[in-house]
Amino acid sequence: MVRLRSILLFLVLFESFGSIIAEEEEQIEQFSEALLLRPLPDRKVLAHFHFESKVPPTRTHGSHHHLFPKSIYQLVHKFRVREMELSFTQGRWNYGRWGGYDPISSRNAKPPGVELWATFDVPQHQVDTSWRNLTHALSGLFCASINFLESSTAYSAPLWSFKSFAANIRYGTLPREAVCTENLTPWLKLLPCRDKAGLSALMDRPSIYRGFYHSQRLHLVSNEFDLAAASSGMVLAQTLTVVLQPVTLGSGMTSSVGSIQQPSWSLSSLFGRKVSGSCVLSNASNVYVQLEPNLVSELKTISETQQQSDIENLISQAWSDMSFEMSHSAVREIKEVYGFQKESSLLYEFSLANFSDSRPFDLEFRWKRPVTWSSQLAPLQASRFLMGSGNERGAIAISLKSVGRSGYAKSSVNEEGRCSLRVDVFQVVPWYVKVYYHTLKVFLDERLHSLADVIERTNVSPSEDKVSPGLIEIALRLPCDVHSVILTLEFDKGFLHIDEYPPDANQGFDIPSALIRFPEIKTKMHLFEDKSACKSPILSKLQEESPVLWYTEVLLVPLTTPDFSMPYNVITITCTVFALYFGSLLNALRRRVEEEERLLKTTKASGLIGVLLSKLSTKLRGKPLEPPSSSSSSSSKVSYKLILRVILVAGIAAAWQYFFG
Amino acid sequence: MPEGAPQDSAMAEISEAPTTSDPPNTKLEEDFDPKTMRKTKPGLKRLFLTLTVFISFVIALPFLLKSIEIYRAPLPFEDIDLLSTEMEKNLLLFPCQFQAVFVNFDDITAVNELGLLINSHMQKLTSENTPACGTCGNNFTVAVTIDSNSNCIHRESGSVNGKWQCGVLNGFDKLNDHDEAFDEYLASVLDSKNRKVYTVVVVNTKQEDVRVIVGKHRHAWIAGKVSVEKAVEKMAEIFIKVFVNGGNEEGSIRGEFMPVGADGKVVLSFSLLNSDPHDWVYDWDFKELDEILLAPVVDALKPVADISVESQVLYHTPKSSYSYWDDTQGSYIFSTKDLPFFVNSNEWHLDTSTAAGGRSKVLHFVLYVPSAKECPLKLQLPNREISMTNGFISPMWGGIIVWNPPACVENFQMQDLSRHKISSEDLKMISEVFMGQLRQLFGLKSDSLYVGRFATSVLLTSEKGFAEWELDVLSRHHTCFNLLQCGTTLGSLSRLVQSLPRMIIMDEIGKQVKYSLEAAKLSLGNVSLGYSDASAVSSRKARALAEDAFYHPSMMSVSYYSFEHCFAVYSPFFLPVSLHVLLAVIREWKRYKVENRKYLAWKVKLE
Repeated sequence: MVRLRSILLFLVLFESFGSIIAEEEEQIEQFSEALLLRPLPDRKVLAHFHFESKVPPTRTHGSHHHLFPKSIYQLVHKFRVREMELSFTQGRWNYGRWGGYDPISSRNAKPPGVELWATFDVPQHQVDTSWRNLTHALSGLFCASINFLESSTAYSAPLWSFKSFAANIRYGTLPREAVCTENLTPWLKLLPCRDKAGLSALMDRPSIYRGFYHSQRLHLVSNEFDLAAASSGMVLAQTLTVVLQPVTLGSGMTSSVGSIQQPSWSLSSLFGRKVSGSCVLSNASNVYVQLEPNLVSELKTISETQQQSDIENLISQAWSDMSFEMSHSAVREIKEVYGFQKESSLLYEFSLANFSDSRPFDLEFRWKRPVTWSSQLAPLQASRFLMGSGNERGAIAISLKSVGRSGYAKSSVNEEGRCSLRVDVFQVVPWYVKVYYHTLKVFLDERLHSLADVIERTNVSPSEDKVSPGLIEIALRLPCDVHSVILTLEFDKGFLHIDEYPPDANQGFDIPSALIRFPEIKTKMHLFEDKSACKSPILSKLQEESPVLWYTEVLLVPLTTPDFSMPYNVITITCTVFALYFGSLLNALRRRVEEEERLLKTTKASGLIGVLLSKLSTKLRGKPLEPPSSSSSSSSKVSYKLILRVILVAGIAAAWQYFFG
Repeated sequence: MPEGAPQDSAMAEISEAPTTSDPPNTKLEEDFDPKTMRKTKPGLKRLFLTLTVFISFVIALPFLLKSIEIYRAPLPFEDIDLLSTEMEKNLLLFPCQFQAVFVNFDDITAVNELGLLINSHMQKLTSENTPACGTCGNNFTVAVTIDSNSNCIHRESGSVNGKWQCGVLNGFDKLNDHDEAFDEYLASVLDSKNRKVYTVVVVNTKQEDVRVIVGKHRHAWIAGKVSVEKAVEKMAEIFIKVFVNGGNEEGSIRGEFMPVGADGKVVLSFSLLNSDPHDWVYDWDFKELDEILLAPVVDALKPVADISVESQVLYHTPKSSYSYWDDTQGSYIFSTKDLPFFVNSNEWHLDTSTAAGGRSKVLHFVLYVPSAKECPLKLQLPNREISMTNGFISPMWGGIIVWNPPACVENFQMQDLSRHKISSEDLKMISEVFMGQLRQLFGLKSDSLYVGRFATSVLLTSEKGFAEWELDVLSRHHTCFNLLQCGTTLGSLSRLVQSLPRMIIMDEIGKQVKYSLEAAKLSLGNVSLGYSDASAVSSRKARALAEDAFYHPSMMSVSYYSFEHCFAVYSPFFLPVSLHVLLAVIREWKRYKVENRKYLAWKVKLE
């Protein structure tokens, strides 16, 4: 007993000592880089760069940093940012093919364009000011039009559906923002090695922008301003997620009939570059190759069927050796430990420490046999579309379809024993799309369902014209066996002032992506923990629990677009009508009908205009025209007068040009 | 009514017609020629009507113009022109007060003559070159005191209030060994921290070599065996060349260019550049540099500028100029003609600071650590000597120092990639060079010797980096620079506004211009009265307001409501209508004249 106690005491001491060591380690700035590669089922490859800078709090460490970017540090301090995420995305994450359940997809799949959200550590009434200033600062920092998020019509304050337990949060998106190298360069500038060395040297601009999906993200967490909590300083995570189509390496293998031959790839074929060593400033620079759980199980079954004969000496390595080979041998093989019968994913780790300019690292992944698999999908597949036609009204529909696997929902059985699934829907609509929130309808399996049964919680902040966008947050509680859920909302299309139309108004207006969140279904990788594993920030990030997210498509709403030259046309035609009316009134007032008739009778031509006028008047009165017999002398006088007038007008015009031109 | 009107007029014509056709007299009937005569008075009705319309149009025209007028706040153009011409013509000259003290000169008593002598020497020195802005010109007063064992004579001049107390130097024998101590003693005697009087004390001693020392405050002393004439020459030189001009020679940075932002802020951005981290990675203890070496300077410069300090370490930042190996020096050499290409703006992401919002000025101080393949790297001066500081400045941008790590001199083989720290001795040296660069950027000398025509003076260096009299010089230059800048900014604003007659000018701009002018006037007034601190404050305000007005967002936006636009909107109505009205008036007038003539002809005939 005593011995046991002493052991316990020793353990406690050791623990505390260990924690001291850990704290000691925490007190220095750290930077690490990692690249995760994953073959995707549709012959593409996912490349996920992860750079992380950590800095201890200013209280203990001061404000001088040797790795952490100065601009971000100043930004945090100036605007008192608690947490911030900025993403630039091009293309849409294909949830159906590339997976919607794993940590990478739920964290790095972002809506197209720019998405920015931030929480601030300022009093409630200053949050909007801080947000506005932050958008301007970021806009300058990243060469993007983030400053358009400044206007109160562009951002909103979600309460609970976007992020649980977040006060003072602001959220805004710019769906139409084009993302290109000018946004990537400032992002790279925040890395100590930029793209001069290390993994970021792989970022060959033509290659990464040729991809099917491109999302660069910056996630910042700081608890600098928490005085009470044990502050951990700031953590800046920068990730770049690209989905690339490998250029097929010239492998001698021909695809067998019926199954698709996966393309073999290497770093140089994906990016057109090789890695020449790590960034010397990073604590860890690793490359990981991840095989999805479904792929692992698929490969295992294939090898099992082929090697029926000797099951006994089937060692763990054999199945993988038979299906693919990699040019370098992995430093480590990390297995996911998860549940009982569930398949687990596999991570191969490669370290860049021993590579240099003369011996660049070029990982090659070669498939040996055709294989097909599918990625892990989110419990419900979401899509969003518009209904209705015309320029007056329409409806937004969000459809959630079950993927037919109820395994995810097993855990969320409530007290009554009924299996249920909670889904949060977060949708921001611009003010010119005037949503009637009372028209919200829910169809479960194509049957109209009463809202009270399904909806657990809602938060609606209606839009205010030209002031704020509409925000709707709905928490749905769905039975697990549901196959399809459709939410519809009707709206009227508003009219904008002529100044409010964007330059290309005929293209239509974007409704930002809705966010479907499954708060009860958390995803994380259950990696086998050993001491060295927790050192790599990408792995600890993958092991963090996060809810499964799904961003829907961006909707394009055509609004009535006026002809922008219309005001001038209206002015011109109105003025002409008025001028005609006024002129004729004036003429009528000073008309001498008797005299004119007398004059006409005496056939006295009164100049060309007079002739024309008399012609017109006779026409109007319906009388036959009496041809005026003008003498030659008068006609010459008329032409002389006419020339004089023309000269006068020309002179005035010339003088005008001279003085005002 | 419009329908009825022509009929009415027709009726009137008809009603008049019978009277004309009615023959009153047959004799006259023969003479009546309907082509040249008429019997009735021509009607005025139509003429009156058209004229009414015309006149009402003419009256309405100013109202219309007023209604379509764009808003332009009235700007005081004359005052602006006055200010800018005044700033260009008359240099800002501050009144200065000097005090000369002669200690242990027993043989002289002619105080007034001595004062005039000093004055004439100073006049000669000032007239040598045109006075720069922010100096004293001829606007100075000299007080003289002779302090000897036997007598104590004062010559008061102007409003020098503090007097030299005779006999305070008696028994003070540390004159030669402890300059610092004597400096402090003089400061306490003269109270030169608070009084803006520049004093030169001549102490006649038995020593042969004459030493001239300029203290940290507003005084200097000459010690040694020196004749009165020599002392006067030296004194005048110290007054004019050192205290007034700040020891500047021709060719140094002009004092008019102060690296201070429009809002009076300066950000000193220190960057440590590791040109190739594969060779070695150096870090510095910036906290030490900041707290021990920079904090006093920041404090000292507070009257001139609001200074903040920030730092960063960057990697992979090669220089963009070339250097070559020199065997005799045993190092890589880059020469002064390569300096314009040294700063690699593509790869040195020095960044403007987020903290420095608005229009603050950022001064970059760069410590460049060369890579192994260009180490040691040295700067060769045009006279083929190696630069002592191994650094250079770029005016209004900042300074660069090349620091060769000890590793490269020792032919060091890279064994570990750990982070090295720059030793604190090196850091001290570096900070001294940075300090010299900062002084140069502010237009002051960076070494502690002033070589004049009559004397070589030793300038005592203050631990704050700037002596009191140097701060005075800076403050004067700063005031001058601010007012000049304010004048040119307002001048360009007024030119811009006058060249675009249809540009909207907000009320706020008008207000800012007004306040800026007021502040500038106040500053000018304070300068002439000699309140230099107050004038510095208001000059800064004037400049800031002028820049605010010039860079006002409404000026930058497309607020130009063009005349073409106005014409396009209003011409479809007013062009045809005015033609109608004008033609109607002309026609009616002509007709009336013709008819009236006819009637008159008839009348003549009748009589």
